[in-house]
Amino acid sequence: MSISLSRRRALAFSLPAIIAILPFLGACFYIFRFSISAEKGVIDGYSIQPYIDLMTPFFGRSVWVTLKLAFVATICAMMLAVPLAFLLTSLKSPFARRCLTVTILLPLILNLLVQAYGWILLLGPSGVLNSTLRGLGIIERPIFLLFNEAGVLLGLIQTSLPLAVFPIVSSVRGLSQEHLEAASSLGASHWRTFFDVTVPLLRPGLVGAASIVFAFNASAFAIPLLLGGRRVQMMGVAIRDMISPLFNWSGAAAAGMILITLTLIVLVFSAWLVRVTSEKVRN
Amino acid sequence: MRVGLLPSENSSYRIIIWFLAIVGILVSSLPVIVVTLMSFSASSNTGFPPSEFSLRWYSEVIAMFTQEDASSAQSVVDSTVTSLLVAVLVMAISTLVCIPLAYALARGERRIREGMELLFTLPLVFPLVILGIAFLLIAESLRLEIGIWRIVIPHVALVIPFVLRNCIGAMQGISVETEEAAISLGASPLRAIWDVVIPLMRAGILAGLIFALIISFNEFTITFFMYTIDVSTLPIWMYSRTVSSLDPSTLALSVFIIFADVVLIVLVDKLIAGRANLF
Amino acid sequence: MMAGIMIRPTKEAAANMEKHTMDNTFSRRRLLATGAGMAATLAMPSIVRAQPLAGKEIRLLTWSDNTGLAILDHIAKPFEEKTGARVIADRTGSTSEMVAKLRAAGDRAQYDVITLAGVGAVELAGDGLLAKPDLNMLPNLKDVDPRFRTGADGHGIGYLLWTGGLIYNTKTFKEPPTSYAQMWDEAHKNRLFLPPATWTDALDTIFATGKLIGGDGTNSAEALAKLAELRNSILTFGENPAQLSELFRSDALDIGGVYAPAFYAAELNDPANSNMGATYDVDEGFFADLMYTITPKSKPGDDETVHAFIDYTLDAEVQGIMAEAVLNGPVNQKAVMSEAAKASPFIIKPEQMGEKAIVHDKSFIAEVREDWITQYTQTLS
Repeated sequence: MSISLSRRRALAFSLPAIIAILPFLGACFYIFRFSISAEKGVIDGYSIQPYIDLMTPFFGRSVWVTLKLAFVATICAMMLAVPLAFLLTSLKSPFARRCLTVTILLPLILNLLVQAYGWILLLGPSGVLNSTLRGLGIIERPIFLLFNEAGVLLGLIQTSLPLAVFPIVSSVRGLSQEHLEAASSLGASHWRTFFDVTVPLLRPGLVGAASIVFAFNASAFAIPLLLGGRRVQMMGVAIRDMISPLFNWSGAAAAGMILITLTLIVLVFSAWLVRVTSEKVRN
Repeated sequence: MRVGLLPSENSSYRIIIWFLAIVGILVSSLPVIVVTLMSFSASSNTGFPPSEFSLRWYSEVIAMFTQEDASSAQSVVDSTVTSLLVAVLVMAISTLVCIPLAYALARGERRIREGMELLFTLPLVFPLVILGIAFLLIAESLRLEIGIWRIVIPHVALVIPFVLRNCIGAMQGISVETEEAAISLGASPLRAIWDVVIPLMRAGILAGLIFALIISFNEFTITFFMYTIDVSTLPIWMYSRTVSSLDPSTLALSVFIIFADVVLIVLVDKLIAGRANLF
Repeated sequence: MMAGIMIRPTKEAAANMEKHTMDNTFSRRRLLATGAGMAATLAMPSIVRAQPLAGKEIRLLTWSDNTGLAILDHIAKPFEEKTGARVIADRTGSTSEMVAKLRAAGDRAQYDVITLAGVGAVELAGDGLLAKPDLNMLPNLKDVDPRFRTGADGHGIGYLLWTGGLIYNTKTFKEPPTSYAQMWDEAHKNRLFLPPATWTDALDTIFATGKLIGGDGTNSAEALAKLAELRNSILTFGENPAQLSELFRSDALDIGGVYAPAFYAAELNDPANSNMGATYDVDEGFFADLMYTITPKSKPGDDETVHAFIDYTLDAEVQGIMAEAVLNGPVNQKAVMSEAAKASPFIIKPEQMGEKAIVHDKSFIAEVREDWITQYTQTLS
């Protein structure tokens, strides 16, 4: 006997969630409808002009910067998240575990403006780092870590780190000990075990986490405003500017649709990647 | 013991894993540490690190909450209460709808599951600014008078991706056999889910709850469009403060908010998880 | 020094002052500076007059910056004490965010009175969302400089002048800079800030650059080409005034503009710690923008209270206090100001609005706005 879920029950189980997300789907449709509106400030008539207006080199660069920064930030966040997840699952003391969990969640909690202020005090042109390095005679001119792509990258990594760590933690918990033990009893080095056993086993969780992080970063707008000093034109910033003060709401909707489409392509691709690779692992 | 993840003997692997983990901790916590130190500063405009320490800014924060005058401005107390209420509603609703969905997806067909997962990830993908204005325009054109639900409804959509992912992750560890065993002992399928599956999902559910709570409690962008003069939240209140000045009392208030979040996390952890806690 | 001119406040006023101090760290300093005016306005009404609007309520939307805060402290609260009406204030947003929210709300406005920049008033009036206040119900208007009484086709009542000039580092500049040309100086590379594209100040910056290179200010193409030279010199755009203040304090910025000294009333009083100075005395001129109070057609509150509030914003004493608190230029010619405020180079009085003051023609700005904002963004980031 196996548990097979009848269609009807599956539907009944899914229904509450679908109802809960219905207003959101309405909003999605609304945005789509706005993006093909002939008027900029209200929905009226049909036109693909909002999309045509976006076909400029400037917007193209903005798309490129967005994808590039979101991608690099995702890779970096993953490189920090995996060790953090390992550490979190290895800690034995519940108190230490709690402290680490809260620490990792901090970027989600603290007001971004205040966090940006903290970073300015540390990494600003006259911040702790620059004045220390200058005091030690290592540098003559301040190094600029904020108000450019480096600053945005740092902010993206920081704010998306918690989103990466926790899905990986649950994957790590699900790791079969036998695999790891078998590998280490065969005398494989730690690195060999990591790359040949751990990573392939974790891959679905890793790709899942990475796709969340990527989506989150691609739509960021507060970070480029605050830590990028508005000099890094990510799409989120462009969309915000179109909403106010340009009041080009149809253009904002069109830019939003483009961003969503690009992100979805990445997500679908990564889901496909998981399927292909997990089938390979199973074989 | 976990083999291979964090070995105890010295090796390049161990050093690098530890190094990256520490970098991760620093990236997460450095701004908070700086801000916390500054909030104990004795003066209002010295650099970092502060030369003298005092609790004066904290007494201002306490005054803000206790001596709130009845007149004008959004009160910080009202905003905090609204924020808490919204966060608890969002947490409860999103978890209640996500548990059955996670079960259905985990036991259902893979193709449907992938499609649904993508559908429920959508809120994460949308740029929040455009989502905010869309929600506002819809609410206004439908002439909705729904009070606090103006904020709760968009928040639920926003946290569902996180809650669902955590619940699905928890379901993956639960084998069909466990459930079958319960059914073969005479339990109805629903009973088996309630008695066997849900307790096993607890860690995932809890993680989802906490994410929902934190994200909703601290959400700014969509709330900025949806709040009204009567229904406003703490992040909105905080925003108007930080624009005018980043003085140490604002920092002290931030530290206070972090503290409130941590208390909430611990509370949920204790209430729901009992002794078998998640963290 | 201030104690000499301070009138001893009544107990109630003293209690109020205490509250203000609790509410805002900068208030203490501000109160000392404005002691006389404050004490007088706070002490008088509750003793002398009855409360004609007791039980009434108005909903006010104002800026999130410190001008908004000052409006609460120095207009809303004394108004409540004087009239007995209750002011529920929402202090969130910039002018363009307000316009976005009001547009979305359409004919279901949740506010009675909104304070915002001229451009916003013109746009909302154009949408047909605003009511025209009854000027006969605004007795204080007769003392207002005729140039600044109304705007946006009668929908907006002028109530203060928002002025923009150059902000500079007092450590770097022993004497205030006298031209926007200073921003192009190699010495200030990476120590320069510009206003964000989304602010009217960005349009002013284009205009000032146009004048700098010899045009009349409307020569935007050449001006933007000149501004493009700054692309790699900019440290940041001044999206957040508090952030800029920290960057000046830590000596990371030298100069920037066009920007409003109004954000930095406290800092400009204390250059030793803040390193901040500001000047309007620039060859190419400074910028003045009339801020309005407006009222939506579909406001929830009643006419009498709304007009009483708008009239109160024009009160000679209130105008004087606001000028001192946040360096706004008063529009009331009889504004009561202390000697210090009268002498303050940061407060522009109506009579100083001579040749150097550039007040944009609102219809010109409305025409070029979208184009200039877009080009400014594309040129500089």
